Amino acid sequence: MTWTALIWIYLWLAGMAGGAFLAAKAVGRFSGSKDDSLLRLATWLGLPLAILGVLLLIFELGTPLWFWHLFTQFDFTSPMSMGTWILIVWVILGVTMLATWWLEGKVSQEAAASLASLRKLISRINIFFSAALIAYTGVLLAVSSQSLWAGTILLPALFVVSAVSTGVAALVLAALGLNAIADSGMAEIKLAINQIFGSTEWKTPKEMIVRLAEADAAVIVLEIAVMIGYVIWLATSTAGSDALGVITTGSMAAPFWVGVVLLALLIPFGLDLTIRNKAAEAKGVMMTIVTSSLCVIVGGLILRWVITSGGQL
Amino acid sequence: MAEAILYDSTKCTACRACQVACKQWNELEAEETTNRGTYENPPELSASTWNKIKFTELELNGEFKWIFTRLACMHCEEASCQNVCPTGAISKTDEGFVLIDQKWCIGCGYCVQACPYEVPHKDEHTGTARKCTSCADRTSNDLKPACVTTCPTGALTYGDRSSLLSDAEQRVAALGGSATLYGENELGGLHALYILEDSPEVYGLPAEPQVATKNSIGQWLSGLITAGLITALPFWFIFRRKDQIAVGDANEGGAK
Repeated sequence: MTWTALIWIYLWLAGMAGGAFLAAKAVGRFSGSKDDSLLRLATWLGLPLAILGVLLLIFELGTPLWFWHLFTQFDFTSPMSMGTWILIVWVILGVTMLATWWLEGKVSQEAAASLASLRKLISRINIFFSAALIAYTGVLLAVSSQSLWAGTILLPALFVVSAVSTGVAALVLAALGLNAIADSGMAEIKLAINQIFGSTEWKTPKEMIVRLAEADAAVIVLEIAVMIGYVIWLATSTAGSDALGVITTGSMAAPFWVGVVLLALLIPFGLDLTIRNKAAEAKGVMMTIVTSSLCVIVGGLILRWVITSGGQL
Repeated sequence: MAEAILYDSTKCTACRACQVACKQWNELEAEETTNRGTYENPPELSASTWNKIKFTELELNGEFKWIFTRLACMHCEEASCQNVCPTGAISKTDEGFVLIDQKWCIGCGYCVQACPYEVPHKDEHTGTARKCTSCADRTSNDLKPACVTTCPTGALTYGDRSSLLSDAEQRVAALGGSATLYGENELGGLHALYILEDSPEVYGLPAEPQVATKNSIGQWLSGLITAGLITALPFWFIFRRKDQIAVGDANEGGAK
């Protein structure tokens, strides 16, 4: 097998990073809130994930020290070449955004206002690059001669929806983790976070976390629809149905049905349904959200594994 | 000038001298394999097997047949490997042969996934992708590829692509029946041409090979449009209630 675990872990990490950013941006847009601390959390969460993914990707190369050859080429026909540049731009824009937050509390009010408008502009540009980043994780596989990947145009769609779903789940867990720190007596860690964020306001309201979980449930509904479309599309072509057999009835069937269908889709959706119309403070709500988010994240990883490995069998 | 290798399956006796000559000229190591109940060996192309004869046993029109075909780089005019290579390490010679620059390939494995014929393989020792070069180092010195030079039955010939094509057309016409010429138009025209006694599928060759980048735009649009929809619809649905949730409100217990 040419593309091993490092590749599908990378596809999962990059998807989660871009998905979290897009989700945070969408929350800001549709909630009408001027507060961008969720976006700050998404950026702080996404950058290390994406950078870790890139390191894995470089390590997967046959000649890792020659990775810089990638930067000598800008080739529209090669998704990997496009992905390289999308990632670079995405990281640069993200780091710039983090710098503006960090500097904001350290400069005059006027300068802080300029930094905030600069950040707003960059974050708008980064909507496109986040979308391109998560689309790229699917396109990379889909532009190939492997039937499980190239036999339909729905693989990029599937990976995109899963990226947003795992991104939201990662945001939820990160927010709950920070809230737990805020509520604890760990004064030094709180100070360190204040320093890193350049702000003392980094606690996420419980209500927001519940809404994010609800949004993830809505994303999962669409993910189920795309998954059904993907399976049907492949099943109706000869080469596609053979390739599909590998994951539905063949050697990857167990991780597909248990890891993807149950863990990534049905279980978190069911869990999210149980907290519908419940108050954020109600007993068991936060524990349900944590369980559901963990299922989504682990299920998202298994999805990349099943598709990446299954396509090469 | 476009050149090609022509393989006439009807003249091939599967002596596999071409396999040996390829390994010898290109200094490719032998592979340790186990008996699989067939003379066909090694089982598949690899980073150190760039040319092999595939054996197929089948019943055709009530008659038992033992047929052979050659597996090696097809040197496609529309080469999927070249299209997806992210570093520009894959190029085409004036003769139409596809080469992987071993000093520039980073071993990402994308060409391995993209090739419709499963030709390039990643070499664990060099860390690069490797495959048949059509002996570019020989042909550029007026020598024929090693496999062609050694073929004792005339099943392999090398030369100007258009004259090989007309030879092949005559041979196919003489063979009659279901005989087929493969490679004339596939993927923009292959620089490895095949005379087959039957349809390409019988030999395990794709009848309608597709270039890997054929649906690139559709694949990108699928991802980008879905990204737009997935961030618009569910989040609009959940967060459209404008009762703002200000983060500041939650920070009473924070780290002020």
